[in-house]
This record gives sequence, structure tokens and C-alpha cells, in this order.
Amino acid sequence: MSVIQELSRSRRSASPRKKGDGRWALFFLAPWFAGLALITAGPMGASLYLSFTDYDLLSAPQWVGLENYTRMFEDPRLLKSLGVTFTYVFVSVPLQLAAALGLALLLDKGMRGLALYRSVYYLPSLLGGSVAIAILWRQIFGADGLVNQVLALFGVQGQGWVSHPDYALDTLMALNVWTFGAPMVIFLAGLRQIPQMYYEAASIDGASRWRQFRSITVPLLTPIIFFNLVLQLIEAFQSFTRAFVVSGGNGGPSDSTLLYTLYLYLKGFGSLDMGYASAMAWFLLLIIGGMTVVNFLASKYWVFYDD
Amino acid sequence: MSTTGNGIPRRRGKRLAASAAGIAAVALTLAACGGGDSGIGGGGDEPPPAAEECPCEIRFSWWGSDTRHASTQEIIEAFEAENPDITVVPDFTDWDGYWDKLATSVAAGDTPDVITMEERYISDYATKSVLADLGSLEIDTSKVDDGVLAGGQIDGTQYGIPTGINAYALVADPELFADAGVDVPDDTTWTWEDYVATANAVSEGAGDDVWGTQDYGFNEAGLNVMARQRGESLFTPEGELGVSEETIADFFQVSLDLMEGGGQPDAARTVEYQAAGPEGGLLGTNQGAMGVWWTNQLGALSESSGHELELLRLPGETEGERTGMYYKPAMFYSASADTEYPQAAAKFVDFMLNSQEAAEIMLTDRGLPANTEVREAVLGDLPPTEQKVAEFMADIEDEIVDTPPVPPHGSAELADIMERINTEVLFERITPEEAATQLIEEVNAAIAG
Repeated sequence: MSVIQELSRSRRSASPRKKGDGRWALFFLAPWFAGLALITAGPMGASLYLSFTDYDLLSAPQWVGLENYTRMFEDPRLLKSLGVTFTYVFVSVPLQLAAALGLALLLDKGMRGLALYRSVYYLPSLLGGSVAIAILWRQIFGADGLVNQVLALFGVQGQGWVSHPDYALDTLMALNVWTFGAPMVIFLAGLRQIPQMYYEAASIDGASRWRQFRSITVPLLTPIIFFNLVLQLIEAFQSFTRAFVVSGGNGGPSDSTLLYTLYLYLKGFGSLDMGYASAMAWFLLLIIGGMTVVNFLASKYWVFYDD
Repeated sequence: MSTTGNGIPRRRGKRLAASAAGIAAVALTLAACGGGDSGIGGGGDEPPPAAEECPCEIRFSWWGSDTRHASTQEIIEAFEAENPDITVVPDFTDWDGYWDKLATSVAAGDTPDVITMEERYISDYATKSVLADLGSLEIDTSKVDDGVLAGGQIDGTQYGIPTGINAYALVADPELFADAGVDVPDDTTWTWEDYVATANAVSEGAGDDVWGTQDYGFNEAGLNVMARQRGESLFTPEGELGVSEETIADFFQVSLDLMEGGGQPDAARTVEYQAAGPEGGLLGTNQGAMGVWWTNQLGALSESSGHELELLRLPGETEGERTGMYYKPAMFYSASADTEYPQAAAKFVDFMLNSQEAAEIMLTDRGLPANTEVREAVLGDLPPTEQKVAEFMADIEDEIVDTPPVPPHGSAELADIMERINTEVLFERITPEEAATQLIEEVNAAIAG
């Protein structure tokens, strides 16, 4: 409940809305609602039902109550996949946002050819989820790949990064950090919103660049940082394609890249344990939901709404 | 070696729409289940099919490469020309997507009439009553060797008819042996120790970036051969694990000995070559003198290496109690238990199995033909590497003791388990003994579930 209160508080504190805005909002949201109702809702209901069954796809589902959920607590590979996923999310998302903010600050200087740079840096975000890039990633971080060739120039003998259990996840996280384009564009928009007069006033008072960044840019940008954080966390929890392709489909080497969604897929289609996989999907929803609630609650202490 | 017996890299590529497919499957199933039990796996108490069921349309599903799609299309056309009242609808995909798609189709009550099956999955589908008893249909299997035919039987019921046969064998590159100054070993007498020593010697003699052999530990077929040599078997006919802890530990120890002696690359490289399939592996890239592969992969290996490769028996065939090598059914033709047109399906399977015309188009694409009569007939048409395979298969025929039983329900997971445990062993995170304990535990859990 408090999340909703929190949300509505921040809305109310924004500029007063004109009458009829709500109706327009609904109008523009209509296609999304239609999609939800027609495409998503049915399967979601089905998967909720299946999560309480033993279902192998080949024969009819058998009701087993909560068994799939209780089995999760005794599944060492599930714990392993949670560990991998949390590492992936909590290491790569902050780094990705830092990279996005850093580049947004650079691009905000209004240099020549800004549109070009913006597009170039945004490109990885468009490509990053693709299979082609994941395959390329395998090559770059392979034993004889680009990274090691560059290292060899400096006399360093590199590892087979993607195929070593200690480093494979790092390459995946690097891939996630590299796709900083989407949050970067949002940061750029946010930076443009900050009135120039604050900076003018600050520099008249003799504030350094760093001081201006800390005391003007960051506080005024917190709503944007918060927005990006929520979005990227949710997205990172659901990462699948990269791990699937880079690991060759099994989360290897030795489960080091076994993201939760990948394990879910392996359970559903590899072991034909679709009931368990459905339960895992709902558990993931709970995790993401919980994480988002915590995020909103914590935002009270650090997010600053200007108006 | 991360491939199936059919030369297709396992679990590689994209599955962007996997979750969507899962959701769709689920939705469709619910719809299918709404009408009662008849949608899935039924067929037990259906009335016997009418004699005159056609004109009709049947669907045939298979996996494979573009060449297989083209040749299969040709076979379908030849069949339709002979049977104008039957239309065969092709339903094909690559290996990666095949099992997801098939499971989803079955869940949706839309099982293809004629299904290509594979050893690892046939028990799953048979025990869930998805597959028809082919023995009750009119298919002539008299030209197929009994031992081979038994590869498609579960509890005496013929759920699949082998399309052709492969053997798990050692592929050697005589050119690299010569470069290293090492003789190609005599495969009728060599032991597992000889294998390690030979590989180490090749690495030693060949210089940088050429190794003796590629790691064999990702594929359970090698473990099965070693087990059989000791009078054990990976799986028993009763569907239980039949290999001892000691054998499994010895199996993994070979890899460690090879790494220590330099006969195979370091763990990270091994994992990488493993993922690169036959073409990108050590033999295919002229970086290794040996590798263990399925015989039908010789063509792909030879082509990418550009060298004339040889097939050798696996080590240890005369070392233990008995020989361990065997003919593996490359794939199976199966029929849906729910098909509306069992006779048409049977006719089509019979055509692919027994017709000279089909065999001439297919050649060894589905393994060396299981029908020995058409096999003889197409021998002359085969390209040189395929002829080499045929000769090798004939050479070992008298040494083969029996065909391993069909792996039990749940054994499809074994491939992933092997891959994971072997990686742990290679990186020396667990000892071969621990690997053996873990393997037995995990496989037992998989086949029990």
C-alpha cells in the first residue's frame, strides 16, 4: 500500500493536472491494455495454474498443490542460479548506470556531431539483446579472441574468458554494462531539464565543477536515476538471450552463467518439468516485485522531486 | 563432441521466443484439456482404423540442415508420386528448436503423424503414450538387423524404427601424426593407456598449438563404451544406471592424465573447442590429431580439416571383458499414437525405410541405412568419406556384441549433466571420484523424476 501512497504522493506533488488528462491517459494506454488482456493475461493465468501441477507437456497436468514451490527450497541448482542472477544484477546494473550517466554528462556538453555520437552510443542497446552480438561476444572473449590478442601485445597471456567458470559471468556482465544506451538517452533528457540558472548562480558563488555536479546535477537528477534503476533492475533480472547464447544454452561452464531464466527454460523444455518451471516463473515475479517495492520505499530517502 | 549422434551441435543458437512459446504451449494445453482427456496421449480405446482412410494429409517432422530439408522434400515428392491419395506436409526445424517445438505441439494436441525421434527422447515420448506401436502397423522391417531394430523397442514394443546406424569411433588425422613423427596406432590392440601415451607423444612432437586429442568427456557415449568393455552398461534393460563408480572415475581420469601429459589442451580451451562443434574442434581446424566422434560426422570433419581422416576403433576393445563399441540408431521413425491416418503414416515410414528410391536420395544423411538391402544398393553412389564409414561399419560388425538398451525416461538430461560434471573435473574443482558420485546421484534423480 505504501508504495501506491508513495507513487500518488509524488504525482500529487507534480504540477496540478488538467481535467480530462486521466481519460487521455487511458486512451493512450488502451493498446497496451488490449495486449495485456488478449495476449498476456490468459497465459499468465495458465502458468499460475500449471505451477500447482506436475506437467511434462506430453501428458495432462496433475494437481500437486504447493509441491513445486516447496521443491524449490531443496534444489541446489536453483540456489546456484539465484546466486548467479543476483551477482549479475547487482554488479552490472550499477556499473551500467554509471557508464550511462558518465557518457550522458559528456554528451551534454553540446559538442559538434552530438546527434551522431548519441546514436553511436545508443547502438549497443539496440544490438545488445541480439543473438549476433552474443555470438560476437563469445569470439571477442575466446581463448584466441580479440581481448587476448590485445593483451598479447602487452605480453600478457590471457584466459579463455567465456569458457572459464571463474570469468564467464564477468563477460556477460560486461555485455550488460555495454548496453548502456537506453538509460543514457534518458539521462541526457534529464540533464536538459535542469535549469541553467542554477549552474550560473553556483559558478558566481565560486563552486567547482565537481561541487556543481554533486550539489546540483545529482540531486536534480535523482528521479531519473531512480527511474533508470527500477527499469534496468527489472530488465536485468529477466536477462535470458545473452546467457543462453554465450553459454551455449546450458548456463555453462559448470553453471557459472546459469541465470535464473535460463534455468527456468532448461527445467521447462530440457527436463520437461513445466509445472516446476511455471512455479519458478511466479517466484521470479515475487522477487522482482519485492525488489521494486523495496526500491520505491528506499527512494523516499534519496530521490528529490524538484517541484 | 557436443553433438548428437547426428552431427548437429546440441543446444546452440537462439531461443528468443522460448518463453513466449512456453506460454503459448500452456495456453493451448489448457484449451486442449478443457474438452476432457481425449486430447493428449489417448488412443487406447479408439476403434481400429478404417481400411480406406485416404485421401488424406499427414505431417512429418524432422530436424536437420538445409541439405536434409532439400533431400527430404525430394523423398516426399517421390512418395506422393507413388501414393497420389496421400499428401505429406513437411514440418522441419534445426536440432536446437526441434524438441521445444515437438513438446509444444504434443502439448497442444497437434502431434505430427510421423515423428523423427532420437535415443535420448524416445523413452519420454513412448512412456507418455505419445508414440504408436509400430509393430501393429504394416511396416516391413525384415531387412533391418534384429539387434538394430531392438534399439527402438521399449518393453518389447516397437516405438521407433531406426533410420540408420552410426558408431562412436576415434577419428585420426594421419598427416598430423606424420608431422609429429608418431605412428598411427594399431586400433585392434590399443588400450586406454596407449591412447593417453599416443596423444601425449603427438603433442610433444607436433610443437605449439597442436595437440594429440580433443577431450572426450562431454559425451556419455564414450562412458558407455568403456562400461561395456568392462561388462557393465550405461543403462540396464530395466532402465537403471548400470555403470560402476569406479568406471566413471576411470573415465574422467583419462582426461586428467591427458591434460597433465599435454595430450589435450587446458580446460578453458577444451570447453571452447567443445562448443565449436565438429568444424571448429581440434580435428576440424588441424590443431589436433585425434578426436572421438560419431561416424556420420566424418564428412563434416574431413571437409573442414581438408585432410584425409581415418576411422579407428576406440581404445580398449581387446583390453577388457568384451568389446564396447556398438551401432547406435542415428534416429528413429515414429508415428503418433493419435494419428487419424495410421495406415498412411505406416506407408510413408515403410517407403523411407525400404524404398530404393528414397535411399538413393537420402544416402547416409540419416545414418548408414538400417535396411541392409538398400544399404548395399547405395554403397556405390556414396562419396569417398561415406564409403569409408560404410567400410568401417562393416569391419566392426563381427566384433559388436549387442545394442545397448534404450535409455530410460529422463535420460535426456544426461547430456547436460555430463557436460557440467566434466567441466568441473577439467577445471579440477572436483576429483574423478567425486564426479562419479555426483553423476550417479544426478542421473538417478533425473531418471526417477
